[in-house]
Amino acid sequence: MARGIVTFSSDRCKACGLCILFCPKQIMGFDKTSINILGYHPVGLIKPEDCNGCGICAMMCPDLVIEVGRE
Amino acid sequence: MQRVLMKGNEAIAEGAIRAGCRGFFGYPITPSSEIAEYMARKMPTIGGVFVQAESELAAINMVYGGAATGARVMTASSGPGISLKQEGISFLAEGELPCLIVDICRGGPGLGGIQPSQADYFQATRGGGHGDYYIIVLAPSSAQEMMDLTMLGFELADKHRTPVMLMAEGTLGNLIEPVLVRDEVTEFVDKPWAITGCLGRQPNIVNTLHMPVEQLQTRNQHLTEKYQAIRSQEIRSEEFLTEDADLILVAYGIMARIAKKAVMNARSLGIKTGLIRPITLWPYPYGVVNKIAQTCKAMVSIEISTTGQMIEDIKLATAGKVPIHYIGEIARTPNPEEITQQLLVIAAKEGLI
Ligand code: SF4
Ligand code: SF4
Repeated sequence: MARGIVTFSSDRCKACGLCILFCPKQIMGFDKTSINILGYHPVGLIKPEDCNGCGICAMMCPDLVIEVGRE
Repeated sequence: MQRVLMKGNEAIAEGAIRAGCRGFFGYPITPSSEIAEYMARKMPTIGGVFVQAESELAAINMVYGGAATGARVMTASSGPGISLKQEGISFLAEGELPCLIVDICRGGPGLGGIQPSQADYFQATRGGGHGDYYIIVLAPSSAQEMMDLTMLGFELADKHRTPVMLMAEGTLGNLIEPVLVRDEVTEFVDKPWAITGCLGRQPNIVNTLHMPVEQLQTRNQHLTEKYQAIRSQEIRSEEFLTEDADLILVAYGIMARIAKKAVMNARSLGIKTGLIRPITLWPYPYGVVNKIAQTCKAMVSIEISTTGQMIEDIKLATAGKVPIHYIGEIARTPNPEEITQQLLVIAAKEGLI
């Protein structure tokens, strides 16, 4: 099965949560340990090994925070 | 608190209902119409009143009547409709009637077009109608703030007995974003001045005609003192990376969000940039702009307007301390990259790169 590599431009994240809601693998979450330049807890992957590289999160993000590559 | 996807205009309407607004009087106009639509659907189910008036003039005078009874009431329109309402707003200011007036701006002058605009800045912040008066003007920059500032607007209106305007671009009115739906307001201030039927007390009168010289002077003096109190208590603004900045952008509403991205872009290119976002357009954050003018090297007003309107307030605030540049156009909203390009030109002119 394809594996995805997700990278975030975290400073652009406004923590709207759309990517979290739409990830079919339910592996995204807010990183409560960091605060970005806009003042939000940015999104990160909780279980990166489960990502299938579908790219839905990147399509959902209104602020172009997410890039998905496939292995 | 529930998190739901909402259009900016719907967030205003739902925020108003949650703030206890039970009277909406309006006349539809793009790009504000969703507010009226939402109210038409909701008001009858919660014991409220929705009236589609025969004109903007009728609508604003219904607001006058509703507010005089002490109820939380509102109207919503866009540029040309707000112009028609100005006479009524002047009367509301003099009658000291708390209410919310929403302006979802489109381009003008005249009928203009339905594209986004910030060119109603002058009519919003300079009173707008006849006579010596101001109204509080709030400028949200997200769907969330459409709800939050609507609720704040009703609170400030009651607190200071004044009409409050919420001014946003058509873009924001039609933008769909997640919104944390706020709790219903349950505590309201007393309105002993309201016209509620005078059984057992002296009648209350709401009147704006003061023929005797002294009466008119006293009234205007009273209003002037009230505006001074509002200036000292209610100024709101946001600062973003201003501490070490050489180049300061000033922008409000949706433009401030775009400018924020441009600030980040410009910083990655080595220009120390920052942003001031006025949240109250009146009272304007003169103090904040003045303070930052002491440490930065130049300022840029970014507006969705061709002539530039807020730039005059920046000039008043800075009193010639730093050069002020302008970036603006009407009917389309520039993207962060376009603004960054223009910032590079300005930075080069000012010797910042
Ligand atoms: S690429 Fe698909 S599986 Fe991976 S994080 Fe994004 S939405 Fe989830
Ligand atoms: S959709 Fe984009 S902006 Fe929204 S939380 Fe996800 S990464 Fe952040």
